[in-house]
Amino acid sequence: MDNIPKKGARLNSKNGIRSAIKDFFKVAVEKEQFNLVLMPMKVPSQDSYAWMMIKDIELLKDANPIAPIMPVNAANAIKRYTRKGNGSYKIAAIVRPCEIRAIIELVKLNQIKLDTLTLFSYDCVGALPMQDYIANPEKGEVDFNKIVDERTYDSKIVKDTCELCDKCSMPAATDLHFAIDKDEVILIPNSEKGEKIVETLDIETQGITSLLADWSKDMNSIISKRAKARKTEFENVAKIAVGLDNLKDTFANCIGCHNCNSVCPICYCRQCYFDSTANKPNTDFIKIRADKKGALGYPQDKIMFHVGRMAHMSLSCINCGLCSDACPVDIPVAKIFSYTGAQTQEAFDYIAGNSVGDALPMRDYKLEELGELKDLVKSVEAEEGDHE
Amino acid sequence: MSLKSRSAMVVGAGIAGIQAALDLADMGVKVHLIEESATIGGRMPQLDKTFPTNDCSMCILAPKMSESVRHPNITIHIKSKVESVEGLPGDFKVKIIEEAKYVDPEKCVSCGICEDKCPVKVDDEFDMNLRKRGAISRYFLQSIPAEYTIDKEKCLYLTKGVCKICEKVCPAGAIRYEDVDKTIELSVGAVILSTGIDTFNPIHFGNLGYKRFSNVVTSLEFERMLSASGPMGGHVVKFNDHKEPKTLAFIQCVGSRDESIDHNYCSSACCMFAIKEAIIATEHIKGLKSSIFYMDIRAFGKDFDKYYENAKNKYGVQFIKSKVSDISENEDGSLTLKYVYENGDIQYKEFDMVVLAVGLQPRKGMPELAEKLDIKLNEYGFCRSDAYTPLTTSREGIYVCGAMNAPKDIPESVVSASGAVAEATKYLRLERQKLTDPKDAPKEIPVAGVRPRIGTFVCHCGINIAGVVDVKAVAENAKDLPNVEHSEDLMYACSPDGLDIIKKRIKEQNLNRVVVAACTPRTHEPLFRETINEAGLNPYLFEMANIRDQCSWAHQNEPELATEKSKDLMAMAVGKAKELKALDRLPIDINPKALIVGAGLAGMVAADTLATAGHEVYLVERENKLGGNMRNIFFNFGKDPQKHLADYIERVENNKHIHLYKNTEVKKIDGYVGNFETLIVEKESKKETTFDHGVTIIATGADEHETQEYKYGETSTIVTQVEFERMLKNKKFPKKPKTVVMIQCVGSREEGKMYCSRICCTKAVKNASVLKDMMPNTNVYIVYRDMRTYGFREKYYTELRDKGTMFVHYSPEKKPEVTLVDEMNPDSGVNVTVFDPIMDKEVQITADMLVLSVAVDPKKDNIDTARMLKIPLNADGVFLEAHAKLRPVDFATDGVFLCGLAHGPKDMDESLMQAKAAASRALTFLNKKQILAEGTITEVNDTRCTGCGYCEITCAYNAIAVDPEKEIAIVNDALCKGCGACVASCRCGALDLRGFTNEQLYSTFDSLALTEELEIF
Repeated sequence: MDNIPKKGARLNSKNGIRSAIKDFFKVAVEKEQFNLVLMPMKVPSQDSYAWMMIKDIELLKDANPIAPIMPVNAANAIKRYTRKGNGSYKIAAIVRPCEIRAIIELVKLNQIKLDTLTLFSYDCVGALPMQDYIANPEKGEVDFNKIVDERTYDSKIVKDTCELCDKCSMPAATDLHFAIDKDEVILIPNSEKGEKIVETLDIETQGITSLLADWSKDMNSIISKRAKARKTEFENVAKIAVGLDNLKDTFANCIGCHNCNSVCPICYCRQCYFDSTANKPNTDFIKIRADKKGALGYPQDKIMFHVGRMAHMSLSCINCGLCSDACPVDIPVAKIFSYTGAQTQEAFDYIAGNSVGDALPMRDYKLEELGELKDLVKSVEAEEGDHE
Repeated sequence: MSLKSRSAMVVGAGIAGIQAALDLADMGVKVHLIEESATIGGRMPQLDKTFPTNDCSMCILAPKMSESVRHPNITIHIKSKVESVEGLPGDFKVKIIEEAKYVDPEKCVSCGICEDKCPVKVDDEFDMNLRKRGAISRYFLQSIPAEYTIDKEKCLYLTKGVCKICEKVCPAGAIRYEDVDKTIELSVGAVILSTGIDTFNPIHFGNLGYKRFSNVVTSLEFERMLSASGPMGGHVVKFNDHKEPKTLAFIQCVGSRDESIDHNYCSSACCMFAIKEAIIATEHIKGLKSSIFYMDIRAFGKDFDKYYENAKNKYGVQFIKSKVSDISENEDGSLTLKYVYENGDIQYKEFDMVVLAVGLQPRKGMPELAEKLDIKLNEYGFCRSDAYTPLTTSREGIYVCGAMNAPKDIPESVVSASGAVAEATKYLRLERQKLTDPKDAPKEIPVAGVRPRIGTFVCHCGINIAGVVDVKAVAENAKDLPNVEHSEDLMYACSPDGLDIIKKRIKEQNLNRVVVAACTPRTHEPLFRETINEAGLNPYLFEMANIRDQCSWAHQNEPELATEKSKDLMAMAVGKAKELKALDRLPIDINPKALIVGAGLAGMVAADTLATAGHEVYLVERENKLGGNMRNIFFNFGKDPQKHLADYIERVENNKHIHLYKNTEVKKIDGYVGNFETLIVEKESKKETTFDHGVTIIATGADEHETQEYKYGETSTIVTQVEFERMLKNKKFPKKPKTVVMIQCVGSREEGKMYCSRICCTKAVKNASVLKDMMPNTNVYIVYRDMRTYGFREKYYTELRDKGTMFVHYSPEKKPEVTLVDEMNPDSGVNVTVFDPIMDKEVQITADMLVLSVAVDPKKDNIDTARMLKIPLNADGVFLEAHAKLRPVDFATDGVFLCGLAHGPKDMDESLMQAKAAASRALTFLNKKQILAEGTITEVNDTRCTGCGYCEITCAYNAIAVDPEKEIAIVNDALCKGCGACVASCRCGALDLRGFTNEQLYSTFDSLALTEELEIF
């Protein structure tokens, strides 16, 4: 966080963090601030969570705002509900910071409309890998609650992308943020919409300035630690992700299931080109290739698929890590995409999901880009010249 | 009722002549385009780049050249001169003499063997005599028509009766020495002259050393040196030692603004020309330092000042305001310039090379031409025209455009050309043209669902291709490619014989796709498409491989590799051809009415022109009065602007075809070319009116800048030029003006508003002249940055100087300071303090009145108009035309046009020309009942489109948009140009460009042996 937030309200947290948050929504719905609350809820078999659009506030008791896992990115859920606008219902969505960023990217791509949607985020320690949780849900709950309660941001039990996430606190584009400070929850309004809600609900604000200052300091130190870890780890990722040979090795076991693209909130296409009939090679094509190579493997065009996806979505990648969760053959897809995204986003001076106002890089033309391109061409030419 | 004809003649085929011919032809007029040289194109092909966009000159011109040679309504007569024009407007009888070409254009295939073998070498005028060519030659590589001609003065056989080598080597048998000059008689309704200009020959100025010192060249010679197609291949070197120059000097106004040679006019283009050459040279030569010696930098056109600033700040071009009096040559070939500053300081500086920015002058032979055509010339020998009729000659029915009647740069030449066409339409019979009846079109063989049967043809192009590439091997290799049923090589695929063979094979072999491996599709694809269409195939079932440019030219020293590459290119073309589909071009109806927004001078002229041509016009004016800014202009160097304004108002108000809406605003414009629907609202009554129209012309004008500088508004003695002009008219001043100071560039040419307002220098000169004539004893001081009295306006500037007006130069870092003589008494007079470079010190002038030459500001609500029509604005908030050089009154969006101050600051005569040009461009649409949409346009796959809108942002033509109901992108067939940008932007693969679909492209690449990189897994 660049600036310490000025406003905030203290939630009654004596029954724990989750109760504080749920109680807040109970009041908010009673006072007609919202008609629907989107929150994760355990599935009946008790071994996973699903998004619930909750209308009956009595059901809030079974919901868990800070769920240990993220089976589906909230942006995908919200896309379904708001594609054509939100209608007359006012919706509150409580989601992870990375999900806020995914939502913002999809707003820019005309897939989500913010209209009457209010976004809540919270300080996120991370999410557990799906396989770990499903293997032993009870242990998962206990382990996860421990790191949430103790505010452990360097735990090894969360997903690798979460460990490396340096955007785990208040996102720039959220309306309201639940800062989880020691034993209590502070609600920070971060937009006009958010401020109105805090004012209407008239929540305690005593001593807030110093609380917020302490919290900001803590979070900044956590973020800088994670950023450092991220930088170090990216050096390792580069070894498996840079260059065609490395990519071939890394994606060698890909079975072509395309799960990574199905769960990705940024892959918003109705049908992926790679799944379409246009991409089904005809016999002539197979013959030509087989003639040239002597043999032809299957699945085909694995690298094309992954590089194609990188080209399409890395500029908007928000590092939610769902692709790794979904990979049945344990390819570290998420880390590779995070790494690629970090590079492409830096090249365009763009942070995915930061603000609705930041134009998507490919939509925005800046005059100086041409100069940069010329410089780039020159530097490449100079390099080539050196090699000769 | 005047006489009318369906034909017109355009004399001179430079850019102006080409534009005029194309506009006329698009209106359905039969045009005879007469050109003295062996090619159309004029000066532009000699230019390397064009300012201020640095576009390659030939790249932007070539498509217009090809279009004119292919246009069914245009007949080009090269090597031809007009002998006489008899009769009356609407029914002229013209005699032209077409010189013998000695080569049969029907047979010549432009292979160039003849020139290679020609023993005579003569100076090549195209390359400013810096290179040699044969006595049989083509004027330049891309000349049009492409056929060779023989220079009868230089040919050995024609002069001495020996040689005949070209006849022996010509593989096409095209040489005919017996050719004679022909006289051709034509009947035309109107004549447009566009014979252009010559550049000044600096040999007259011995002190500048031209032709005496090897490294002194003219700007046009230097342009050829810079050009990649020129004698130095773009690598500029000195003539004495063939090393790159490190320093370069440009000397401006050589042959311009010079009373000693009766050139008391500014050539208008040379400042920008020199700046451009300095920039391009700096890009070519690392570390080059350029200096420009000048009197005033006249960068008065749209976006010119930004270019000028860029030259200074980014390219480090040095601008030295001084007069070069002498040049001497040193032993090492370098040159020492002696130059004098305004304050009398004399300096010397050494340069490696000197470029003389030579001025423009009337073409040689103008007096003879004038006599033949019975037209008058002006005092400098240019064709005579008048400020209010800048496109008419002294003879009714004969019009003038381009630089023939005044120095002009390219966009102004294009504007004047379209404008002259509008004038000419008075004597032409225009009828709304129908598309060819589908009944008359050849029946197309259905190919859907039929297995592709491809015929491939490989062209030798004489030795042009076959000299390097093994053409027979390429044809042989193609026989084994999938779906190829027939393959052969042809000596000249594009010759009538070659085309006949292709048609014959289609029928014999039942071919349903054709591939030709030859030269570039840019020039030849239309011809081959037409050919296969004649044989019953849809024209889009054709594919071309360019094995000339990409193989025989690019790899002429590696014939084997060139052959292999040719085989690959052929394989790729075949790969694509088997996926080709027949495409239709949908007809779009054109509503013949027009909307013109704004009824200032430009709007009224455009309305009058369209209405005179028989079209209904809706003319919408926001104010209660017509005339716009022209209502404030009372003087124009002896002419009465108000009288002309009154004439126009009367014509507009009394024309039954013009539906005039005053005090009315345009609220909404929907639709596209041919099919607009507009809602207007009367401001007081709020009465709404809706109407349909086919085109829209934007003539919304501009505003006078509201300044807060120089104490404006604090006293009635500080006024703007517009206010001052009104005082001059009423002869009433707040204070008797015994001393008047004028400050130029108030609100122009500054950070954030880096453009020249163009008219203010002339306006200051004009108002000062009126004042001096009225009160000769008044002291007038004009405090200026550069006096930009371009073209013939220069005369008024020198006249004013002779009347005893003081001109004080200031730089933007040292702006003049203004104080009141007595702060307590606003009308006490004004003190203007300014640094005078001539006196080399600060001077204070106490004046009775201060007149501010304030900028021309774009209308603040331009943005609303722009949004309504989805047309762009530039960084200054001025409407942005489709192309700064060659489409100055069009928008990228079809059917919307631009004129007057809305396009940028300009004088009345220029607004008038532009309004005529916009009307003329509009007529090219309005005179058609239907137009055809492109065949190669984008199509949307509904099931894949997510409606994200990327394509909508990407499209430059507003041809694709997300439908809010269906939530998918919809293409407007009428607007889509088939550029493919949207397809590239679509992540979802929902878009495909017909003729370039993913399937077709994959098939193209898969046919190539490029899979080496991919592993089998």
